[in-house]
Amino acid sequence: MKIKDLIKQDAGFQYVVDNMEFMSTAGRRKMLNVEFCNDATWLQEEWQRLERVIKVTREYKFKKPYIELRHCLMQLHDLQGTLQSLSCHTTLNEVELFEIKNLAQLAQIACSAIAELGLTDVLPLPATKDIFNLLDPDGTGIANFYIYDSYDARLAPLRRELQGLQTAGGDPMRISELLALQNEIQNEVCTRLSDELAKWADLLTTTMEQMAYADFLLAKSDLAIRWNLARPEIGETIEYMNLVNPRLKEHNESHKQRYQPVDITLSPGVCLITGANMAGKTVLLKSVATAQTMAQCGMYIPASKGVVRLVEGIASSIGDDQDEMNGLSSYAAEIIKISNILKDCRSHELLVLIDEPARTTNPVEGKALVQALIAILNNLNSTTLITTHYSQLGSTCRRLRVKGFVEDMADVPLNPQNINRFIDYSLTEDQSDNVPQEALRIAAILGCDEQLTALAKENISK
Amino acid sequence: MPFVADILKHRSLSIVGLEKNTGKTVCLNYILRRLNEMHVPVGVTSIGVDGEQVDSVFATAKPEIILYEGTLFITSEQHYLKRQLVSRLEAVDSRRTALGPLVTARVLVRGKALLSGAATTGILRSQISQLEKTGVDLTIVDGALSRLSLASPTVTEAMILATGAAVSANVKQLVSRTKFLHSLICLDEVSADLRERLNPIQSGLWAIDSEGMPHDLGIASVFLIDRAETDLLHYGHTLFASGAVSDRLLRVLATKGTDITLITRDFTKLFITPEAYVEFTRRGNRLMALQRSRLIAITLNPTSPQGFLLDSKSTCSALSDAMQMPVYDVMQIEK
Repeated sequence: MKIKDLIKQDAGFQYVVDNMEFMSTAGRRKMLNVEFCNDATWLQEEWQRLERVIKVTREYKFKKPYIELRHCLMQLHDLQGTLQSLSCHTTLNEVELFEIKNLAQLAQIACSAIAELGLTDVLPLPATKDIFNLLDPDGTGIANFYIYDSYDARLAPLRRELQGLQTAGGDPMRISELLALQNEIQNEVCTRLSDELAKWADLLTTTMEQMAYADFLLAKSDLAIRWNLARPEIGETIEYMNLVNPRLKEHNESHKQRYQPVDITLSPGVCLITGANMAGKTVLLKSVATAQTMAQCGMYIPASKGVVRLVEGIASSIGDDQDEMNGLSSYAAEIIKISNILKDCRSHELLVLIDEPARTTNPVEGKALVQALIAILNNLNSTTLITTHYSQLGSTCRRLRVKGFVEDMADVPLNPQNINRFIDYSLTEDQSDNVPQEALRIAAILGCDEQLTALAKENISK
Repeated sequence: MPFVADILKHRSLSIVGLEKNTGKTVCLNYILRRLNEMHVPVGVTSIGVDGEQVDSVFATAKPEIILYEGTLFITSEQHYLKRQLVSRLEAVDSRRTALGPLVTARVLVRGKALLSGAATTGILRSQISQLEKTGVDLTIVDGALSRLSLASPTVTEAMILATGAAVSANVKQLVSRTKFLHSLICLDEVSADLRERLNPIQSGLWAIDSEGMPHDLGIASVFLIDRAETDLLHYGHTLFASGAVSDRLLRVLATKGTDITLITRDFTKLFITPEAYVEFTRRGNRLMALQRSRLIAITLNPTSPQGFLLDSKSTCSALSDAMQMPVYDVMQIEK
């Protein structure tokens, strides 16, 4: 699956991609076509290249070769169509030839800037000098273009005559004739140049793609520095220290609210997450998904340190997929989704994230479904995270509890607006089969109808 | 050579027509020829598509644009490839239009060309500044159809207005329609202080108090003005409309009071009829502009696309009398 499809499934990852700054549309295209990858060798190499670029970016950010490279990439045009025509031996027009000359010159400038940055092995660019020279017959060294007189001996005298006639207001018939003849010669030259360039079609494509890749790497490096991302390691488990959800962190910081990173370790099999309402269970699932996607797309991860276990894909059931148009209730949509996930897990190793399964049906059957789900997923190779409010599930799986509401965590009066400051989002291993029961307390803090909470409390003590 | 010297005092010029077929291209050719004789380096572009050989609405023959040696011009790839002159490509823009990317080229041997350009004033503005950087003293923007937006002083410093029999074959009507637009172009400017304060405001209707401070009246669009509950004149009788001004806004204001000054950004933001304007001003209200356009000349094409011909001399003097500025029939100067 490519990044362009992944961003449709994960809004958090879309946010990551939207925050990358590209200098060219070709760079952006390159990024969108990156595949979700589980080849450890390629990922290690890609992170290694990224590490090199980050180091160079930190050192050269405001220095000449770095600025020059960025400037080149800014002028990069996406010539996919033109290069395709070229390899099919189509005659290019003057504008297209100009674009190729421009690309050849940009590549030369970029190549020497990259060499100055010591990144030639990371971003190798083919030599384009011969291509530039073919399109610069007078050796001006400037990237402008027309069908120069030196391309065909007939052009110079023809243009001299044309100039004379035009300036003196001469015979319009003769002018038309000359213009027609000039066009014919120009077309001949275009055909000849296109034929000669055709042998370099692949080299030009490589040049453009490498420059697009350079733009992509620079964008990744810039993001890694701005967001303080970390290079992941590859291992048998998933382990994050100070994992953040970039979108939520940014939102909280812009609203001057606290954001608490979390540590989490996951192994194949099921891990159950419990915790009070508002404790950030759903956000945790989303953060794990985004971090995994970033890592397997060759990016750094939003944590201070991390190990990823490579999987073949990410399957999640988060949120309400109720679809009235298809006649599906929340429950039906969820069950279809979960059963598809199970099917996929039987043949692939996935990262599975399921948010409060069976919460929209009756608790007796709902609990039975969750127990069955845990039993099945526990015997498959996938790494699964399930959040739930059901207690007494009796399942033998690992349990993590979000610490949750801590009354004396902040020294300000508690109110619905600052309740987030009283929640400890960190996770703790939980041996008991019970879930925290804080729903009524939180309802009271949120200013819920008093009669409602009082009556509910009474019902519990009965 | 009338008015060409005035043009040279500015860095950019737009040629706009009150209607199609009012002689914009004839006027442009006249200016380009004179500037070439004076050896002034110019840049030429257009907004939208123009310079077609046959008028696509009336199927009448249209004069082509003649560009001289040294001129920089911006056009689309497809029109560039059809040019009848010798030129060298200097730049290709990454933004694409329906006719391929926009290209910038320098004329090596004079001849005819088709001009097309950016579809939005934003891109046009960036192109004008790009041409200025390459050593062009004056950029001329050829208008398309009856678009006026390019004549906004935020886009081009000066303008030429083309009018003619295409507007109306009745001289009286022609004079009154031209004069109406002329009066909007020549609205009085607000003080530099106030302009600086109002310029950054991007949306809504604002009131200016006696201290000259703007207050947002909380009306998102002037098109919702009649539903507004707020007292529009609470802060005073001076208002600023940051976006379009419509007949409805003028009529609503006219009912609220007298002695109101409504400030518009510039005349291209006014989408009003003469009737509504008269009704508005008759009650002692007036319009002002943040920035006034420098109108250099008015030109007349006495021939209508249907073949109707007005008397050039008397029509020019009728227009000239009405607006107190010279009006030229470029075809007559050319003779």
